[in-house]
Amino acid sequence: MVNTQVNLGGLIMRNPVTVASGTFAAGHEYADFVDLSRMGAVTTKGVSLNGWAGNESPRIAETPSGMLNSIGLQNPGVKHLIEGDIAWLATQDVPCIVNVSGHSVDEYHAVVEALEECPNVHAYEINISCPNVDAGGMTFGCVPEKAAEVVRACRNVTKRPMIVKLTPNVTDITEIAKVAEAEGADAISLINTLLGMAIDAKRRKPVLARVVGGLSGPAVKPVALRCVWQVHNAVKVPLLGMGGVTTGIDAIEFMLAGATAVAVGTANFMNPHATMDVVDGIIAYCEEQGVSDVNELIGALDC
Amino acid sequence: MALVDEMATVLSNQNVGPRLYIMVLRCPQIAEQVMPGQFVHVQLTGFENHILRRPISVFDVNREEGTITLVYQVVGVGTEWMTTVAEGAHLDLIGAIGQGWTVPEAGQRVLIVGGGVGSAPLFILSKMARQAGAQVDIILAAATKDALVTLPYYTEAHGGEPVCATDDGTYGYAGFATEPAKKLLAETTYDRVYVCGPEPLMHIIANLAAEAHVPCELSMEKRMACGVGACLSCIVETVDGRKRSCVDGPVFPAEKVVW
Repeated sequence: MVNTQVNLGGLIMRNPVTVASGTFAAGHEYADFVDLSRMGAVTTKGVSLNGWAGNESPRIAETPSGMLNSIGLQNPGVKHLIEGDIAWLATQDVPCIVNVSGHSVDEYHAVVEALEECPNVHAYEINISCPNVDAGGMTFGCVPEKAAEVVRACRNVTKRPMIVKLTPNVTDITEIAKVAEAEGADAISLINTLLGMAIDAKRRKPVLARVVGGLSGPAVKPVALRCVWQVHNAVKVPLLGMGGVTTGIDAIEFMLAGATAVAVGTANFMNPHATMDVVDGIIAYCEEQGVSDVNELIGALDC
Repeated sequence: MALVDEMATVLSNQNVGPRLYIMVLRCPQIAEQVMPGQFVHVQLTGFENHILRRPISVFDVNREEGTITLVYQVVGVGTEWMTTVAEGAHLDLIGAIGQGWTVPEAGQRVLIVGGGVGSAPLFILSKMARQAGAQVDIILAAATKDALVTLPYYTEAHGGEPVCATDDGTYGYAGFATEPAKKLLAETTYDRVYVCGPEPLMHIIANLAAEAHVPCELSMEKRMACGVGACLSCIVETVDGRKRSCVDGPVFPAEKVVW
């Protein structure tokens, strides 16, 4: 038997596998394909205080080994999430990480405050890295002072495990990671999508209505691994690694680079039971390699 | 009905018209449950650097044989690749997805309007409507005679040829489906109109139905990623806010759609 349990900044996960926010809703849509009780945690779609309508359509474009999205954090607001998806998730045997978004420091603060009332939330992922909104999101995650302000404001209202999600669209990702750690983040998740664009040459038009969007999928894995490795060498808090995780071996690579847990994102669209395949793949690798505890793999890269 | 992820076997994949193909697949689980207007989400199995699935509506089903038939049009790299899939190959499908058409009741009279490859998702409906004892009038439209690839199937199933229209006048009425639709709606009292095709066509038919005070259903196709309702890529603007075309649709009551 391989021990697969990990501790992500105070959140105990039965295995290192969760999902990237926004690719899995709150799991209900995937329940025909996935046994949620075999996941380490479910990370819900980003939620704001009163809900956002999101961006205009088209919102996605397929690109080589990846895709662009500009959904724009469409969500029904925190009250609706608590009464709907979180209530449903509470009936499932899996911890719930709520991804928190805001247009302002006050909004992030208010969303966490509202969620504190709900006993079925086990951890937060503070999203300071969405590239698809005009205010908040990545605009906070690129500036150390703004990132610090958001993390501090959220830390002030919760003792629950708090993960801060970083953008790779910066010169030095370790700088923001250190700020998040200093302001009390229990863990850091990375990477959010890379800002990109796609063009329809015949029409001379951008493919996405918003022109630019976030790149995800296998195409971004090398960038994500590099970011995880750099941040692992710069901070002490555990990391939730993501960016193109499609197989168990991808997950192992992230753990070797320094991740304590991994999130499966775009792969859910390719294969609706990708999370289960990743869990099985991690165990198969450990059995084959004689690894008795997945924790041995964290940062075990030989270089 | 629970969605299934099923490895289907390709039984045939034939070019039947300009950029138009008919593919028959054996997938007993999906064949058992598919309802008119639903679609399957096709993984490009073996071409996975194109990571997203392609939503293709189900044209026909044979529940005894466990097969479904898709009519698809080549519009990009994914559907282009699908044309190369050989008999005996396997394709991973998720299905059967979506809210389909309202099947009419005995004694009702309905009008079905299919434009281009949009005639495909209406075929099972047309047969079930007939079986249920409804009277079914059908208009099929396409750019050219060659592109009326579903016509023989409709003709056989209904024991007579539908009203046809071609943009270039090579078969049936010369022009769009809107003119024969206008004529039928003026002459006949319908209980419901169903339309699938290019959005401008659906918009006009929806308006004609509304003017005639006939309920209308239409099928919206949007760029889609997950196909199960999670990613919020395929939104349709409605009077009740943004809806997901994959699981809230693809069939919507026309009066709900904001154009």
